Amino acid sequence: MATALAMPKLGMTMREGRVVSWPQPVGARVEKGAVVLVIESEKAEVEIEAPAAGVLRHVYVPEGETVPSGTLLAAITETADEPFDAEAFRRVHDRPEAPAAAAGPVPPAAVPGGGTVRRTAETPVTPAARALARRLGVEPARVPGTGPGGRVTREDVEAWAARRRALVPVAEGVALEVPTEGAGDPVVLLPGFGTDVSMFARQIPVLAERWHVLGVNPRGVGLSDAPEEARYDVATMAADVAALLDEPAHVVGASLGAAVAIELALVHPERLRSLTLITPFVEADARLLAVVDAWCRVASEASAEAVARLLLPWMFSRAYLADEGRRERTARGLAATAPRVPAPTLARAAAGMRAWSGSRRTDLARLALPTLVIVAGDDLLTPDGEAVAGAIPGARCRAVPRAAHAVALEAPEAVGEAIRTHLEAR
Amino acid sequence: MERDIPMLFAINEALHLAMEADPDVIVLGEDVAGGGGRKDQGIEEAWGGIMGATRGLLKRFGPERVRDTPISEMGFMGAAVGAALTGLRPVAELMFIDFIGVCLDPLLNQAAKLRYMFGGKARVPLTVRTSTGAGLRSAAQHSQSLYWMTAGIPGLKTVIPSNPADAKGLLLAAIRDDDPVVFCEPKALMFVSGPVAEGDYTVPLGKAALVREGTDVSLVGFGRTVQTALRAAELLARDGVSADVLDLRSLQPLDEEAILATLGKTGRVVVVDEAPPRCGIASDVAALCVDKGFDLLNAPVRKVTAPHAPVPFSPVLEDAYVPTPEAVVAAARALLG
Repeated sequence: MATALAMPKLGMTMREGRVVSWPQPVGARVEKGAVVLVIESEKAEVEIEAPAAGVLRHVYVPEGETVPSGTLLAAITETADEPFDAEAFRRVHDRPEAPAAAAGPVPPAAVPGGGTVRRTAETPVTPAARALARRLGVEPARVPGTGPGGRVTREDVEAWAARRRALVPVAEGVALEVPTEGAGDPVVLLPGFGTDVSMFARQIPVLAERWHVLGVNPRGVGLSDAPEEARYDVATMAADVAALLDEPAHVVGASLGAAVAIELALVHPERLRSLTLITPFVEADARLLAVVDAWCRVASEASAEAVARLLLPWMFSRAYLADEGRRERTARGLAATAPRVPAPTLARAAAGMRAWSGSRRTDLARLALPTLVIVAGDDLLTPDGEAVAGAIPGARCRAVPRAAHAVALEAPEAVGEAIRTHLEAR
Repeated sequence: MERDIPMLFAINEALHLAMEADPDVIVLGEDVAGGGGRKDQGIEEAWGGIMGATRGLLKRFGPERVRDTPISEMGFMGAAVGAALTGLRPVAELMFIDFIGVCLDPLLNQAAKLRYMFGGKARVPLTVRTSTGAGLRSAAQHSQSLYWMTAGIPGLKTVIPSNPADAKGLLLAAIRDDDPVVFCEPKALMFVSGPVAEGDYTVPLGKAALVREGTDVSLVGFGRTVQTALRAAELLARDGVSADVLDLRSLQPLDEEAILATLGKTGRVVVVDEAPPRCGIASDVAALCVDKGFDLLNAPVRKVTAPHAPVPFSPVLEDAYVPTPEAVVAAARALLG
């Protein structure tokens, strides 16, 4: 009997992955759970384990190739000499995902040749894209461009508009992008400052096996509306989330997303089943504020890649950055995400963060929800996570050693597992 | 019934059909009879022009209607324009379009202007058959693609087929048209076969043909470059890029509607032209796309042309001179990112 190994889909936004290496040669015996493949997805390099014990019988996709999720990558047979027809097996098991459908998530802005996409007024927009944007009432400068040199094409505007039609209204003139996956009790994911729900790409599949996962892109992030006159403070963002919920939810927030989660739990405790805070803060320290300030400036004056390079040392541990390949891939992943949080949104969210900082210090004691706090051992930006846990009655604290602020990216399995265990206990 | 025959035979067939159907159709030019008809010397039939396109006409229609002329383009072109004015439908063979310099006045100042200057009372139903383009190692003076010149003269029509079937239908339409038409015969395609229907039919002047359907990028060609574009489309298909291929067929009148239709469909246009880049059909099509199709453009318009240089004699250089499928693929890729 043969077992198929296909390109996984590690998150709602993952459409394709690159085969980085096949650590075992064809013909090698592998145990179930042994690493047989390393792939690179949008965010990181991922080790793929053998789904069954046997012999790595046939490899369909060589190292270095990028293929859509669902593409058959290899076959594992129980024995080395049992009959096996590679082509027939492919016909049955090769199920590549169709390229970006109109209703699918927006792929990250392509960065041809590793260059950068600058989201400034000069971002080129093709005439066809401009005309379509005018007809659909879309602001072309907000659309991520995938054409040569980051040019916004007609297809980009179409995809943007199609996704916009799926937005969820939460307030007067404000609708949010809320990609969902799975079924069950709702789990709301709130991303940190300057990022979007793709930061949870590695946790979403784990959670979606049991729950209905709703990733929330806050105001001004991704496709979500970015009204000029509106408020972007933490309380307003918490109200946005409350407006999304039609039944009590498990709420998971990272960093600024944790602040929104705390605010939501204080104002609408009845809307929550549980609370998970990843690298939270209640009072932003001087270093965090300085980094946020630099982030806002660089984003408005330099390229997405410059933003990514600035953030790497603040967000990731020394051990993580020591691997040069991983560092470069992570920089590219961050650079692809950066355009989804344009400079004006960063500035507004930073102001909201400053205003909220310190305002809820004494209120944590009022929280009566089952709470998990995930802290990172090497976190430079929010080092007081354990104190937050200590201030919340009954909160459990899970520390991930040797990881930094972007712990959900750096230690995705540990974070996913911790959340899953916490939610399952409810 | 269809058979596979080369473009040369398709042209020969069209001439036979036109002369059969209309006694006013005559053929003249250098060597169109090719010294044939000299029964006293035992020669009944001969070459029929440099390629053999008029072979068999002399025997079938006689020396009155199939006339060899001296090597004087100015002489026979003037005679052809005069014959057309008197009501005949002459088909003059200008051996190579490169020679148009020595007979431009009858075309530029007579054929193209008379209907206009006589308020429609005069007609010049003249067809000029002429070979164009590189590909036969014929060097700088016998390989040019000067169709842009006749296409730019108001009063002249210019057509160029990309396959034998269109060659036959376009030539019959050209001969039956009441205005002067320059019929370009791409040298490189003359011996390439394709399916051609038997019997009489015409291909309308001024109508382009969509010869391959795609969605991602439009490749626009004419004459030989249609084959280049089709090959490029095959290469692109291997990478999952689907290309529309438009064959202009007529350079004047130009089927603007068809160009804008394919642009509207894909938003991306690559024009492939065997002529040098300046003042050419490729520039013309690009200008049309920007002028009338600006809001349809999803990328810049790319031209793939010969360089601004004479056609080289060296086979290696000649092959490098003409647009290649690989160059078209590269241009399309650059538009798609």
